[in-house]
Amino acid sequence: MLSNYDKGTFFDEMFCQAGGNTFAHYDLLYEKFSKYNKETLREKQILVDNSFLENGVTFTVYGDNRGTEKIFPIDLIPRIIPAGEWKKIEQGLTQRIIALNLFLNDIYNKKQIIKDGIIPECVVKSATHYRTEMQDLTISKDIYIQICGTDLIRDEKGNYIALEDNARCPSGVSYLLENREAMKRAFPLLYSQYEVRPVDNYPDLLLKTLRYLSPRQGQIPVCVLLTPGVHNSAYFEHTFLARKMGIEIVEGRDLIVVDCFVYMRTTKGLVQVDVIYRRLDDDFLDPIVFRKDSMLGVPGLMKAYLKGNVALANAVGTGVADDKVIYAYVPEMIRYYLDQDPIIQNVQTYLAWRDKDRTYILDHLEELVIKSANESGGYGMLMGPVSTKKERLKFAENIRRDPRNFIAQPVVSLSRHPTICNKLGIEGRHIDLRPFVLYGENIEIIAGGLTRVALKKGSLVVNSSQGGGSKDTWILRS
Amino acid sequence: MLSRVANSLYWLSRYLERAENLARLVEVNRYNSLDIRQGDVWRALLYTTYMENAYATSKEKDAGAFVTFSEENPDSIRQCVAQSRENARMVRDQISEEIWRELNRFHLFISSEKAEELWESQPDKLYRQIIEFCMLLSGLINATVLHDDGWHFMQIGKCLERADKTTRVLDMLAYQGEPDRAKLASALKSCSAFNAFQVEFNNGITLKNTVSFLLFSKSFPRSVRFCLQQLDQHLHSVSGTTTGSFSNEAERITGSTLAQLNFSNITNVISEGYNEYLDSLQKQFNYIGQQFFELYILLPLEIESIGYNNLYWQQQQQQQQ
Repeated sequence: MLSNYDKGTFFDEMFCQAGGNTFAHYDLLYEKFSKYNKETLREKQILVDNSFLENGVTFTVYGDNRGTEKIFPIDLIPRIIPAGEWKKIEQGLTQRIIALNLFLNDIYNKKQIIKDGIIPECVVKSATHYRTEMQDLTISKDIYIQICGTDLIRDEKGNYIALEDNARCPSGVSYLLENREAMKRAFPLLYSQYEVRPVDNYPDLLLKTLRYLSPRQGQIPVCVLLTPGVHNSAYFEHTFLARKMGIEIVEGRDLIVVDCFVYMRTTKGLVQVDVIYRRLDDDFLDPIVFRKDSMLGVPGLMKAYLKGNVALANAVGTGVADDKVIYAYVPEMIRYYLDQDPIIQNVQTYLAWRDKDRTYILDHLEELVIKSANESGGYGMLMGPVSTKKERLKFAENIRRDPRNFIAQPVVSLSRHPTICNKLGIEGRHIDLRPFVLYGENIEIIAGGLTRVALKKGSLVVNSSQGGGSKDTWILRS
Repeated sequence: MLSRVANSLYWLSRYLERAENLARLVEVNRYNSLDIRQGDVWRALLYTTYMENAYATSKEKDAGAFVTFSEENPDSIRQCVAQSRENARMVRDQISEEIWRELNRFHLFISSEKAEELWESQPDKLYRQIIEFCMLLSGLINATVLHDDGWHFMQIGKCLERADKTTRVLDMLAYQGEPDRAKLASALKSCSAFNAFQVEFNNGITLKNTVSFLLFSKSFPRSVRFCLQQLDQHLHSVSGTTTGSFSNEAERITGSTLAQLNFSNITNVISEGYNEYLDSLQKQFNYIGQQFFELYILLPLEIESIGYNNLYWQQQQQQQQ
């Protein structure tokens, strides 16, 4: 199946660019998959897909009023990362989450980084998710981002580069865990031969992280997961995590605030809540403080939060770190707060609010990827090289009108990985990697990640909403 | 247990029971209507299940398809299963993997084109499969979750729905005019009661016997009395009060209705009037449901200012009324 594989001019995860041999950690997998015929693979695929559908491992497709649920397609060829490579990723991610937390603590309190002229105040305060309510507030354990999903890609040389930090409610971890279950069933022998590090400790680690935040001492903290509800695209993940952690999954209407304490309403009366793992954006948390029309939030929640009677994970206002303009400053933050060089580099980023950068961007629209600062899911983006003149004109106009909200980056041709493409056999498809970092008493990084794959030929967009799929990611013990 | 979760568990099992009863009702009547004028049977069925109005405005003119599949009919079997499954989705963390998987499979099956094709070619097979799914789920609910409050809430939904549906079958009998043996047998079969009936009454299928059996049988699981006995016990298990006394309105009405059934017979039904008797039972069931809702799902302050919240909760579920 792999003999006619065309690795192209990209960095390939399985095959060396020079010579075309497989990397040593892919030898065994190559040997195995070379022997499979199309029929066997198709059978395994059907088995896996059906088990996902029947277990309801699905996401809801928006804009489809029948509420269609789809499975997040999984590709059967796993991505393998050797122990040494993973160690470096772990160090880089640890460095990054520490710096981001110090940054958030700083901008909401002393503002030293602004005073020292590293980041202009106007850039921070104009970030869409900057929350004035958080000003001068001491939050539980000084940790703002407890759960972070940083998207990594690999450049032409195979270097891992950070593409963005998801510091609000990163999702996808349930697919990672379910993919692993499916792969263990479909390839038991190969899996055990590889000595892969397990991932199933994630719910335990997450619960530990949440409990660490509890403002109430001397008893087992009551943690809950706050979901927007059953129609949210990630609802499966919410129930999945709540079940694995053994905590209640609540909607806004299950919670009530009395005298600045948060309670959940049960058939036996009210029960006090200590920690809320919220999978709801800041905007919707509390209709008294944020969006008035929010039916999903809890009136009075912010008041209880500001008084320190309940902890939220992640904290309110962490979205500043999601802003793509702020992202550009992360290497500076690492140097400033930690006095270290960044282990994981950023993609080179041009900021349209700087006159010089803007001129460059407008002159080179055709070569660059333009992103709006606060969109996600592959929306609000212009891929210069494949754009039309009309699209470029529209983006140029938007950039001139609102330079603060646009950045540009050179096109990074993401690494490719052999992927099963139905009739076409096995072909190379572009991938990225979303590891999950937890920051509680310790920093814990689950030994795995969600490898997302752009299933469309040539596509560089891996988002599930744009035709992406996923792969199981195997981190080796040695 | 979260009030919302209790609510979802209650509806999960209530919708499932509704789907099962409907499937049996349709299957029995579809088969019998082969021998008599079709329109009459369907009209009676739509009338007694409160689907008449929805049917009149629906584009779907095949009554069987309307009852089984129509998305315009909030109580079609397909919609009942979808609702049950939607409630299960909201409480996935509270039910067993097995329940979820089978319920999800049921939903995928009934919403598929394959189900519609089966309905065209072998309707009896389709309805049998629906009933089998329901029974499988009912078994899983009994065998794979803790018999704690959550389970009692599921049973409460089931008992109320079942009691109500048995009275609907009796309604249908009345609606069709002078009942002959075929119609009486049909009513019994709609409740899976035919064999059990013959054990208890060996002096023939008469109207009196049929009504006696379906209302008053002490040991048949679908008789109204039996359902009320069960309901009474589940309500008391949740509140912790001993049976024979009451600590809330739901328990009080259930107990007094049950006592009335325990000490009545067919003569009382005849003297009160057949329709009146059934009507009053159905009213009691609604009242119990409402009291249960106010007791466990709403907060006291919300009941006083009945408005936004009550509406919001109620919006979540399609009450059959």
